[in-house]
Amino acid sequence: MSIQDVIQEQVSSHQVVLYMKGSPQMPQCGFSAMAIQVLQALGVSQPFTVDVLQNPEIRQGIKEFANWPTIPQLYIKGEFVGGSDIMREMYQSGELKKLLEGVQAG
Amino acid sequence: MTTPESIRKGIEGGLDCKHIEVAGDGQHFEAVIVSAAFAGKSRVQRHQLVYAVLGERMREEIHALSMRTLTPEEWGG
Repeated sequence: MSIQDVIQEQVSSHQVVLYMKGSPQMPQCGFSAMAIQVLQALGVSQPFTVDVLQNPEIRQGIKEFANWPTIPQLYIKGEFVGGSDIMREMYQSGELKKLLEGVQAG
Repeated sequence: MTTPESIRKGIEGGLDCKHIEVAGDGQHFEAVIVSAAFAGKSRVQRHQLVYAVLGERMREEIHALSMRTLTPEEWGG
């Protein structure tokens, strides 16, 4: 299984996936911390997260997967939603709440 | 060291900007970018456009670039 297949599998088998630096309890970067806070504020208390600092192959592979060079990255129902700026904007506008309606976390 | 000025020039070099502001401390940068090229594009596509213009610099020099990407209409409105 290639790393791209591993990522595809992760984003397909969980409704909400956040690739981040660190864990939800101990984020290792301010942008990842904000991403977790946004999800928690919208009721996604335990999203499926992948700590890229623990997995260099995923850290590299995820940048190619979405053609997106930075982390965090949020996926909902297998679709790439955006990084931390976009999450914040969509949180403020209410779009992210809408997108998460009917989504089961985990 | 990477400066806000060099990032601004890099973006302007590949993207026709009506307005651009970049601030930052050498590690983390924030940009407001206004370009007609963003019209009809999603937020993700807009950011990808800027990342593409910055190319390898995004991987090598720039740890974090926070962006607001607006069309001239959105900026004015």
